[in-house]
Amino acid sequence: MRNISLIIRRVWKSAFMLSALSVLIVSGTQAQDAAEGRKIFKEKCTSCHALDRDLIGPALQTVVPTKSEAFLLKWINNAPAFIASGDKEAVEASKFNPNAEMTAFPSLTPEQIKSILAYVKVGEPKKAEAAGAAGGSGSDEVSSFSLVGVIAVILISIVVLVVLGRAIKMLERLILQKQGVVIVEEEKVSMAAGIGQLFKNKKFIFFFILCVVTFLASFGWMGMWNTGVHTGYQPTQPIKFSHELHAGTNQIDCQYCHAGAFESKNATIPSLNVCMNCHKSVQARDNHDGNISPEIQKIYNALGYDADKMTYDKSKEKPIEWVRVHNLPDFAYFNHSQHVVVAEEAIRKEKGLKPNEPVCFACHGPVNTMEEIYQYSPLTMKWCINCHKDTKLEVKDNAFYTKIIEAHEKIKKGEKITPAALGGMECGKCHY
Amino acid sequence: MESNKKYWKGLEEFNKTSDFVENNKNEFAEPLPIEDVLNEAGLSTVTPRRDFLKALGFGLGAVTLAACQPAPVHKSIPYLIKPEEVIPGIPNYYVSSFNGQSVLVKTREGRPIKIEPNPNAGQFNCGTDATAQASVLDLYDVSKLKAPQLKADGDLADTTWAKVDAFVAAELAKVKASGKKIRIISSSVSSPSTKAVVADFTVAYPTTKHVQYDAVSYTGIIKANENSFGKAVIPKYNFDKADLIVSFGADFLGTWISGEEFTSQYIENRNYKTLAKGKMSRHFQFEAGMSLTGTNADTRLPIKLSEQGPALITLYNAVTGANLAGGVLPNNTSAEKAIKLVGRELVQQKGKALVVCGSNDVSTQILVNAINAAIGSYGTTIDLDNPSKRYAGNDAEFAELLNEMNRGEVGAVFFLDTNPAYDVVNTKAFTDALAKVPVKVSFADRSDETASLCDVIATNQNYLESWGDANTYEGTYSIVQPTINPVFNSRQAEQSLLIWSNAPVKDYYQYVRNNWEKNILPALGKTWNDVLQTGVFAAAPKAAGTYTFNLSLAAVAPSVLNSSKALAKDIELQVYESIPMRDGKYANNAFLQELPDPVSKVTWDNYIALAPKFAESKDIKEFDVVEIKGSNGYTITLPVLIQPGQAVGTASIALGYGRTKVGKAGDNVGKNAYPFVTFANGTLQYANTVTITKTGATYELAQTQTHHSFEGRNIIREASFKEYVKNPAAGTGKHEEGHKSYDLWDKYEKPGNNWVMAIDLNACTGCGSCIVACNVENNIPVVGRDEVRRRREMHWIRIDRYYSFEEGDKSVSEEKEIAHMENLDRVSVVHQPMLCQHCDHAPCETVCPVLATVHSSDGLNHMAYNRCVGTRYCANNCPYKVRRFNWFNYWNDSRFDNYLNNEFTQLVLNPDVTTRSRGVMEKCSMCIQRIQGGKLQAKMEKRPLKDGDIKMACQEACSANAIIFGDGNDPNSEVSKALRSERIYYVLEEVNTQPGIGYMTKIRNTDSLPTVQA
Repeated sequence: MRNISLIIRRVWKSAFMLSALSVLIVSGTQAQDAAEGRKIFKEKCTSCHALDRDLIGPALQTVVPTKSEAFLLKWINNAPAFIASGDKEAVEASKFNPNAEMTAFPSLTPEQIKSILAYVKVGEPKKAEAAGAAGGSGSDEVSSFSLVGVIAVILISIVVLVVLGRAIKMLERLILQKQGVVIVEEEKVSMAAGIGQLFKNKKFIFFFILCVVTFLASFGWMGMWNTGVHTGYQPTQPIKFSHELHAGTNQIDCQYCHAGAFESKNATIPSLNVCMNCHKSVQARDNHDGNISPEIQKIYNALGYDADKMTYDKSKEKPIEWVRVHNLPDFAYFNHSQHVVVAEEAIRKEKGLKPNEPVCFACHGPVNTMEEIYQYSPLTMKWCINCHKDTKLEVKDNAFYTKIIEAHEKIKKGEKITPAALGGMECGKCHY
Repeated sequence: MESNKKYWKGLEEFNKTSDFVENNKNEFAEPLPIEDVLNEAGLSTVTPRRDFLKALGFGLGAVTLAACQPAPVHKSIPYLIKPEEVIPGIPNYYVSSFNGQSVLVKTREGRPIKIEPNPNAGQFNCGTDATAQASVLDLYDVSKLKAPQLKADGDLADTTWAKVDAFVAAELAKVKASGKKIRIISSSVSSPSTKAVVADFTVAYPTTKHVQYDAVSYTGIIKANENSFGKAVIPKYNFDKADLIVSFGADFLGTWISGEEFTSQYIENRNYKTLAKGKMSRHFQFEAGMSLTGTNADTRLPIKLSEQGPALITLYNAVTGANLAGGVLPNNTSAEKAIKLVGRELVQQKGKALVVCGSNDVSTQILVNAINAAIGSYGTTIDLDNPSKRYAGNDAEFAELLNEMNRGEVGAVFFLDTNPAYDVVNTKAFTDALAKVPVKVSFADRSDETASLCDVIATNQNYLESWGDANTYEGTYSIVQPTINPVFNSRQAEQSLLIWSNAPVKDYYQYVRNNWEKNILPALGKTWNDVLQTGVFAAAPKAAGTYTFNLSLAAVAPSVLNSSKALAKDIELQVYESIPMRDGKYANNAFLQELPDPVSKVTWDNYIALAPKFAESKDIKEFDVVEIKGSNGYTITLPVLIQPGQAVGTASIALGYGRTKVGKAGDNVGKNAYPFVTFANGTLQYANTVTITKTGATYELAQTQTHHSFEGRNIIREASFKEYVKNPAAGTGKHEEGHKSYDLWDKYEKPGNNWVMAIDLNACTGCGSCIVACNVENNIPVVGRDEVRRRREMHWIRIDRYYSFEEGDKSVSEEKEIAHMENLDRVSVVHQPMLCQHCDHAPCETVCPVLATVHSSDGLNHMAYNRCVGTRYCANNCPYKVRRFNWFNYWNDSRFDNYLNNEFTQLVLNPDVTTRSRGVMEKCSMCIQRIQGGKLQAKMEKRPLKDGDIKMACQEACSANAIIFGDGNDPNSEVSKALRSERIYYVLEEVNTQPGIGYMTKIRNTDSLPTVQA
């Protein structure tokens, strides 16, 4: 008997435990639902779906409520198989876009799918995000504001001081007048005369002229040296493309867009098909009251792309005319691949780049913080030459150098091998 | 050892004309305007102080303002959708084929910029000729039509393809209904796909006939082979298998059939590698005008055109022992003697000898066949079983076509890649006949002489925009693939024909592919993709059969003699294809117009070449303009060029000039010589008799030859083969023991690479394809005729041509030279490519005040254009005279609008090489962009540089492999091996410039026939 009661007790216990556990799980899931779902959605769905509008797939907030959860679970898990099974509803659903079939996601568990659906139901958590964004940008403005503010405060205080000084003088005068003291006005005259006298002093004139000449000469000298040097050049671009957002916040690798830099002399500005890899779905509607960001719209306009119909119109194509930021003269040959592929290690060491920073930063500066790109380095010949003089070549892993270094080391033993030592400073290496 | 020969660059140098002596004394070729400055007027002009200050102030202000430009705004426009295979900055290469040469087309960002030989073509890689190298410019020719044209209200006007198609279809339907004939007239078509298209068109319109007509015809050879052996073909000539070559007026290294291919074969038996084995072929040339091939012959004897027939009979008699009548040369005993000796030698070399003749006369070629059969050439040096398919023109068929047209039987004509209104014998007869044809369609790309007479110009595409193929030899097929989208609104002629014949496949790409996959690829066992990658495939060649000549020459010999006799009056005129201009098809190509003729060094004109003695007897001087009247009454005026080596009593005029409707560069350059061609015995004969009268005018030809005097220095080194066998260093001038030299300069260390070059003077034929290759690769501007006259041509590599006497071992003194005036037609020639020698102790470097030209650690002489201020001291101090000065911004100056002054043609520029600005010096950079590119490629792939990774543009283009480039520090490199040859000498070695380019002595195989030496 004891055994039976024991068994019953155990069964009860486990049943209780199970039900308790399931309740716990369910409640936990519901709590996480939307947030978890949003994460998965952003990872897997955004390239084809948006909540509120048709992309490659239908607008989810319109279509999801019309379907049963059971249907959706099957559909999302493996739509192609579902359609192939001949399910009527599935076949009907597949007709939304005859050109594209819904991708199968067999890795998604039913719970995950449910959480996605929960997110679709709830929608984008607007307020918190918006507030956060506003806060972020607000603090930025404050910092620049504060600088202007400080200057304003200083200016105002100067004005106050001057006014106060005048007032004090006036008061003093009044007091003196009251006391019956006669005010001598000569003081002013003597001041002007004094300055006049000073200018009759030959030594002073010589000194004065010397100062002016030195000032002009040094100003001219500096000006001449910087003629044609456009460090900080930051032209207005046809699209307000932010490297800070793309390379900084979104951590997109330089190579993704500027693939040419690793193969060719040209770094290459990406063609628009590269932009469209992401921007077909990334439209930043959240920041523009549900409209496509006007800057992203420029990409679409250039391609003749209709975001609603998702069609390209070749007749409307109009290339984007970017303004070159880094202008080397025609007679200077520069090859990106030489520097970022062959000399990557050497440049990293020379410029002290951190491991997580791309080698591009050596010359282009902290691109990931540039809202709009500007010329970071002077791009003068002196600048090139200095680097070629100082940088130690990393020749160990490159068989190309084996022969050449051997030859060179016969003459200069122990010295570090720089590009200059291998003829990197000869005119014909860059000018031909 | 001094060279025992005396060389001179031109007759003015030889004759020491007063102008030449005067110019030579002066430091500068042109008088400096010192007098103008120092004369009274010059000194008395006072610049008022105020004017000076004004100018100074303005200048300063302007410069300041110009420098104040805040930042340049340069647009950078990326692709909208980048094609997957294009990486900006990296060239793509596509195989294609041009006139039967397998080529690689180098494209940058989708535009073709350079033609290179196809290294994967194996035995079919024969380098490229000058026209192939220059052909890339034709793609960007702005003289082409931008749209098809249709005749409206009597004038041709731009139209659309739909209208053209509607018009032609309607007209063709009418012609078909009327049952009149349709004729497609083209130059020789070797493309199997084009032939198939024409066949399909013939099915749709059964009255169609394809008439092939070549301005420079080979019908004579085809007919002769049909007559002799029952095979109407041009055989495959194997010059590589010939140890003895005898040519009667055939310029086989230049323009005859396929010059670049024959060059590579011919040189195989004469280059440094073969010489090192102690072997060398022998080559005799008997010809009237001085051809490129003649300049390369071991022994060249001038014979008149009228003596060619008797000479061949003499040779036939000598070879076979027969006794055909007429085998005597009563007025040219030295030639007769030589021919008899050659005959003996031919018999000795049986099976290893080859006789070729440039004549287009059937009887003459039959005689040549008989000689070749007698010396066992068939099956060895001549292959009739794998014949050449390049030329299939039939002169008689074309003549018959004119009759048909005159009779009004022809309802429609189509002109494909041909221009008879320019190059027929009788232009008027042709245009009159053409006027009687109701529908005339031209596939020209421009409104040329013929197209402008047509009703429709269905603008064809350049080969770089086209699909196509070629069948150079039996069983050898190559592909033509497009490398750029059509730049103008043009359509391939084949596609037009497909549309008009309403063929099931209208897309020509698909058509070519179908044709290959059905008819060609299965036999080769290859796929379409293989073809696109490799470009050329050949089925296993058939065994070359031996053929015996069994016909009687009873009728042939008299016919030959009659033709000869007809020529033996007045002055015998030879019209020939010149190396740069060929048949005139590419007359609008400025690169070719400025390419100096290999022999006369004349650019931008044709001329009448006369022998010195003959001109003297007629009291004609060089540059005299003479009126030339042909036996048919055709008259032109041309300047005279005195050509040593020209047979006395003959004259030569180049074809291909005198175009009137080809475009800006080529219009009215020279005079048309085609009307001098005669039609006799069923073929076109490139000979005529003319009378010459002086007009009294003179005209200076733009020659490049004596622009620099070599002051009689010992620049060319030459030896006979006999001497060479005895002592390989013969003629190099090397002393037994090195003499001590002293240097003013430090020795340059070249620890890494040492870029050097070796040039085999025995291999260089002087064809000039390297010059054009260099022009295209290095953005070298074309300067035009007037500037060439002012000695301002910009070519970085030139080919110097030196004449010398055929005087054997005897040293020739100056007095003796003049005494030998009558021997001026017996000259021999050496071609020497001359480019920057990249001296280790470069005289240019020491005089540059701004260090714009300096030495590099890898043995190059660098030239920094942006540093150069244009003092020209370097050019003055260069003993090799290879530096060129930019007198103008040639690429951006409307006065030099030869080709480049439009945004469109500028697309041909190589983006890796700067265009030089006015006022700077330039010179051969040893294709430094290629060196840098090759090194970078190796660095990226983390491997050492291999020999052959880097090739110069000139080296690549050379069919003869005369130029060898590489790393002199690598003892196993090809160039190191070549430079270790005993034949190596350095030009002006004695001035201790230590050049980086070694030359190998010219070897002439003349000795075994001492009696030939007159």
